[in-house]
Amino acid sequence: MAYAANAVTPDRQRAELAALSAPAVLFTLAMIAFPVVYTVWLGFHAFSSTGRQSFVGLANYSKLIADHEFWHGLWVTLALYLLSLALQLVLGVWLALLLFHAKRLPGIVRSLFISPFMMPPVVAGLMWLVILDPSIGAANYILARVGLPPSDWLASPTWVIPTVAMIDTWQWAPYVALIVLGGLQSLPPSVYEAAQIDGASAFTTFRRITLPLLLPTIVTATILRSVDLLRFFDIIYITTQGGPGNASNTLNIYGFRVGFEFFNIGYASALMLTLTAIVFGVVLAFNRLRGAVAW
Amino acid sequence: MSNNALATRVAITVVALGAITTANAADFDWKKFQGKTVSFLANNNPVSQALLTYKADFEKLTGMTLKVDGYQEQQMRQRLVTVMNAHSDEIDVFMTLPSREGEQFAAAGWYGDLSAMSKNEASTDYNFAGLSQALLKAGTFGGKLTSMPMNIEGPILYYRTDIFKKCGVDPPATIKDVEAAAQKIKACDSTITPFVSRGLKPAVAYTFSNMLHNIGGSYMANGKSNLCSPKGKEALDTYSRLLRDYGPPGVVNYSFNQISALYRTGRAAMSFESSNELRTVMEGGERLKDTGLAPFPAGEAGQVPTAIGWGMAVSAYSKQPDAAWYFVQWATSPDIQKRMAVQGIAPPRPAVANDPEYRKWIDEQPVRQQWQAALDVLATKGSSEVGYPIVANPESRDFIGQAVQDLILKQKTVDQACADADKGLDALIAQK
Repeated sequence: MAYAANAVTPDRQRAELAALSAPAVLFTLAMIAFPVVYTVWLGFHAFSSTGRQSFVGLANYSKLIADHEFWHGLWVTLALYLLSLALQLVLGVWLALLLFHAKRLPGIVRSLFISPFMMPPVVAGLMWLVILDPSIGAANYILARVGLPPSDWLASPTWVIPTVAMIDTWQWAPYVALIVLGGLQSLPPSVYEAAQIDGASAFTTFRRITLPLLLPTIVTATILRSVDLLRFFDIIYITTQGGPGNASNTLNIYGFRVGFEFFNIGYASALMLTLTAIVFGVVLAFNRLRGAVAW
Repeated sequence: MSNNALATRVAITVVALGAITTANAADFDWKKFQGKTVSFLANNNPVSQALLTYKADFEKLTGMTLKVDGYQEQQMRQRLVTVMNAHSDEIDVFMTLPSREGEQFAAAGWYGDLSAMSKNEASTDYNFAGLSQALLKAGTFGGKLTSMPMNIEGPILYYRTDIFKKCGVDPPATIKDVEAAAQKIKACDSTITPFVSRGLKPAVAYTFSNMLHNIGGSYMANGKSNLCSPKGKEALDTYSRLLRDYGPPGVVNYSFNQISALYRTGRAAMSFESSNELRTVMEGGERLKDTGLAPFPAGEAGQVPTAIGWGMAVSAYSKQPDAAWYFVQWATSPDIQKRMAVQGIAPPRPAVANDPEYRKWIDEQPVRQQWQAALDVLATKGSSEVGYPIVANPESRDFIGQAVQDLILKQKTVDQACADADKGLDALIAQK
């Protein structure tokens, strides 16, 4: 029978599917692999200020260990990460609960609440740069109106990290809220009905039911924000360029300047690969945590 | 030969030479590269903005297409570094700041050699000799001319004549006068910032260099960093003290944007900023009638203003350097530079200052006359040394900026700040 003669065996079908998808798979792999492999290769080379290159093995990595700016950048990165993440998780969960319970809130108000993260970081940075300008900014004007002393905000080595964390929180806490809101909407109502029958207070319900059930969602939000926060760049580049002095010089800013202002691409690659390893480590740790808190 | 015959022969020769010159100018084949496309990597600053208003004229004159790739300064450099490291030919002409990156780019071999083309392939109208010799020298590395000057600029003092009058202060003639004037203005009107200049770390060197040179200091002595010399310490101390005691809060984040905005909105009595900012500062016309301009007041070494200029370079990897040169010579020709001058771009050709059209523009406002006078001082006495005259010049500016910021923020003493800077700079100088 003609049909039987032309029948496609499962093996042949698999081979055809593999052949058809191979170009796309290879292209995607190349697109991901090439920059990584190239950066690793660059990290084994030294580039002089004039662009001359030479193979130096692991010298860039041993230089990194002895580089005070690297350790300072790592400290700034972690301080900014922990402070911003804590603020964003607390405010994000609070905002999500507010939006979840305020059923009558008009859609436009809900949209406004979550709109900051839709703003390009460059626009947000420029906007806050003007607001926080110690001379002409609105922030110090408001402080003066309520009888508080002015602050140097982004120009103060002491306050620059909290100020940058505040800007990032303003922008990204609504994003966390949006993720948590999705989690809240998927929680089983039966658990709450049981708690109500048992006479649990609102706080106990939140602490014993909502928060544990939300943990997987919160960990997901933490992973997404961790990746961004550890690579902190745009807001700092717009507002302080790592200053004053090097008070906000994150690893990403430091690596960028080493690579593109001082043209030492090899050392910059080593710095960026180290940062990538840190990001991977944190993501893996949180991924394990997510598995542990899943229900 | 009689005197008359000799005079006649000389006259004929002169006329003949004149005729040849005119013929050369007319004969210069601007259409030689018709149909080609030249790519230009531009810093999106007032200089390129003024130049590119005449882009259509270039395309009409030469029959070439000009493809412009414009970015902000930092981004332009990043793109350039990427393209040059890849030895790519996608950029034919790029803007460059020889005082900053000249040593570095020349050592990397990124500049095409313009020495021969500027002499042999130029229209006679070009008048190579009419370009500022100081700027040509600043763009020459290892005997190779690497870029043609597009403008001349440097930091100058902008001051509010009305506030000076109200507070009974004379325009400062020396650096000490600047501090005395700032002190009086602070006491007279507490709502005004007495003095503002650059405090942002990578930007400090531009204005600080002028202060250092006026005081009599130098960046290097005997192959070593010299910031801890008495003059170096004096310059660091004076510059940071002026900003700390009389500058705006948050001055450590101030570069030209913030400085011009503060001055233009009437919140600063003195601003030490680039001559290029004239157009920005005068926007809206509020400062037109109450501003005085001058080179930065003298120190113990007199006036040694910083004078730099953007240049146009042909990429060493361009596959059509001759066509690229046509664009460079058009863009830096007397005619174009005169047209750019009346848009507020200070010309790197002293002769333009005497051009009737330009003079008319200058004479329209006293502030423009003062601007031209300050530029004349820059052109004649200027030094193009901004930061260390080494290959790693951009990195050296960071150490200068760090020392100044440490002092503004009172994080170190002058001795500590200069010693830390010298230590880092000596390591940088030792790099090859």
